[in-house]
Amino acid sequence: MTIKSNQEKLGQGVGFERIRRITGYLVGTMDKWNDAKRAEERDRVKHSMKKDA
Amino acid sequence: MIHSIIKRDGRVVLYDQQKIAAAIVRSMTAAADGDAADAARVANDVQRELEATFREQSPNIEAIQDAVERQLMNHGFNAAAKAYILYRANRTRAREANTSLMKTIDEITNADARKSDMKRDNANIDGNTAMGSMLQIGAAGAKAYNEMYLLRPEHARAYREGDIHIHDFDFYSLTTTCCQIDILRLFHGGFSTGHGYLREPQSIQSYAALAAIAIQSNQNDQHGGQSIPNFDYGMAEGVAKTYRKAFYRRLRDIVEDFLELPDEDEAIRALLAEAEAQTGETPRLESSEVFLTAVTQKLCRQYSLSEDDARRLLNRACDRAAKKTDRDTKQAMEGFVHNLNTMHSRAGAQTPFSSINYGTDTSPEGRMAIRNVLLALDAGLGHGETCIFPIHIFKVKEGVNYNPGDPNYDLFRLSCKVSARRLFPNFTFLDSPFNLQYYVPGHPETEVATMGCRTRVMGNVYDPSRQIAYSRGNLSFTSINLPRLAIESQGDEQVFYGKLRDMMEMVSQQLLDRFEIQASKHVYNYPFLMGQGVWLDSDGLNLHDQVREVLKHGTLSIGFIGLAETLTALYGHHHGESAAMQEKGLEIIGFMRDFCDAKSQKMRMNFTLLATPAEGLSGRFLRLDQKRYGKLPGITDREYYTNSFHIPVWFPISAYEKIRLEAPYHALCNAGHISYVELDGDTARNVEAFESVVRCMHDCGIGYGSINHPVDRDPVCGYVGIIGDVCPRCGRHEGEEIPPERVEELRKLYPEMPAFQGIE
Repeated sequence: MTIKSNQEKLGQGVGFERIRRITGYLVGTMDKWNDAKRAEERDRVKHSMKKDA
Repeated sequence: MIHSIIKRDGRVVLYDQQKIAAAIVRSMTAAADGDAADAARVANDVQRELEATFREQSPNIEAIQDAVERQLMNHGFNAAAKAYILYRANRTRAREANTSLMKTIDEITNADARKSDMKRDNANIDGNTAMGSMLQIGAAGAKAYNEMYLLRPEHARAYREGDIHIHDFDFYSLTTTCCQIDILRLFHGGFSTGHGYLREPQSIQSYAALAAIAIQSNQNDQHGGQSIPNFDYGMAEGVAKTYRKAFYRRLRDIVEDFLELPDEDEAIRALLAEAEAQTGETPRLESSEVFLTAVTQKLCRQYSLSEDDARRLLNRACDRAAKKTDRDTKQAMEGFVHNLNTMHSRAGAQTPFSSINYGTDTSPEGRMAIRNVLLALDAGLGHGETCIFPIHIFKVKEGVNYNPGDPNYDLFRLSCKVSARRLFPNFTFLDSPFNLQYYVPGHPETEVATMGCRTRVMGNVYDPSRQIAYSRGNLSFTSINLPRLAIESQGDEQVFYGKLRDMMEMVSQQLLDRFEIQASKHVYNYPFLMGQGVWLDSDGLNLHDQVREVLKHGTLSIGFIGLAETLTALYGHHHGESAAMQEKGLEIIGFMRDFCDAKSQKMRMNFTLLATPAEGLSGRFLRLDQKRYGKLPGITDREYYTNSFHIPVWFPISAYEKIRLEAPYHALCNAGHISYVELDGDTARNVEAFESVVRCMHDCGIGYGSINHPVDRDPVCGYVGIIGDVCPRCGRHEGEEIPPERVEELRKLYPEMPAFQGIE
């Protein structure tokens, strides 16, 4: 964490955290994921709630 | 005349015929083919050959070794020649392993983890830290040694080339995977961590603290994640102890205040002891009427109170004690969750991989523990961050918590609400037939529990009277590259099944080889796991005993990935695309399960089938196969193979349909399984919709499932939810600043906003 002074504006250079599940475990940010799993996460599609088969 | 030779590193050294003769003698002795005199004759001919070829120049080592091979064969020492070739090949392998080990260590030392895929192989190890790097260097060294000295050559080849993957290979010679720690048995009478002895805990705070210590201690004895199968039943005992203490103190204070007495400590102590002796009960969150009546009568007698007054004082003590216990439990659960997210293990490089199972304890104390651990999970860490550890697993059971009217139904609802916000708990379904078959009401050890991301250990061929979750775990697992077998079979089903059987046979052998190493360890190699009796039946062993027999309670698991790609390679479609393919998929996985069952019966050991979690593997197999076969459409044209039996993540399908298709594989994969459903954020936040997905999993016979949805957080304003490009709370883009005035406005609205150093 960088130390900010009163004059400085808050949030400069601070990104959003995006928590995802990888093989059952949660991982804080995707920085530490390996390439294959990053690709897998990118490809995931959402599943609809439609009842029909 | 040969005067000098060139070594591999380029140095020129004097030629010495004795060295050649000595190497030949060694090969002859190894093969029992020839003696020293024969060796001298062969060595002479080697020299003659070299002189003829090189004249005055210096030969290199490879040329000399070629000449030795040729001359051994010319002289008819075929067996010795074979031994020499083998020796040479082994030396080459060792040299190459050394070189690649040094290269690996070089990458670990110098590369930035963000740029090195190898260093990000395990997403929970920070490869940029000193301890993380040391762990990786150790692992690389162990892997090189294990491949060189411990694997049969055919297993080493299969592993190297990606036919199979031996998981946790760095620990091959050291330990086993995981264990379900029965904390109640561990706590009773106290235990030793190996660094100090801990007395039996006496309050919920100590129960929670010691539960974290148990996970941490056991993590040092095994390479996998650690799990508590009975978190609710375990914590309930701590809650009861805290309540009992709080009740006595509150009652004492209330009596002293009401009657204006200076010190009734001894008197109340004695009074309660009498009531306990008389009724055989202790004060509980919901004390029995018999106990309460006994205490009331004693209060009346001792303090000349009317029955109404006595009862009123008593009720007040009960209420206050309950409130105090709830507060303590809440703090204890928050502490536990914080602890598991911040404590380090394994040389400081990772937080312990931990799981806790709960949901079925219907006692008031157990319910209090469950509710508070869910609330702690919901609250998140200090700045509202989502907790990464432990994995929370809510055990769903009809009659206990699944339907309205079930005693823990409210907690099931709460678990859905929390999971819709924090991704945990996951859900395990005790009513699915393959889990229900072990379930005995009143025996929580027969409730299926999960550890880590999916490992499940229940059946027990070695000891059918102990088909329980507690105190057991996986010993090791190896996964098969299923798509490659399919590609190699070129659409021929029979060829495929033949290859699959051979591969499973080989993997079983490799698992048994590894078991041999694990089994020859002693109790002192696992000071906590075995030394403290955490593992089933290890409490009957002495420090210097081998662990062979008790380890047989564990499982040897054969895993697989890429069923979808396998089906596509064999038949042109995967199981999400047609009912026929679903049938084919079930045939393949059913075949694998049958193999495991037959092997279990034959060996009297627990061979089980695992739906492999494929963190590093999905990419590794794929890269190797892409190199071999190119980009085959629908098979090797992505960057990863699909996880176990899953419908591919990119395939559009409804949540219900995905669950329906994947459920039958849960029944087959008895070593562990999980199904995921991906919901968009809005659906996930709708608790009714969320719960309907969980109910669908239950009703379809899923064993273990969880629901993925985006959980983002803006560390600046503390918003947790879905963030697209712009934070919905503070309105900033990623990396953008917010002016101090806006921060102040936001803080008035959201007092829980994180405070940044220097800003206040």
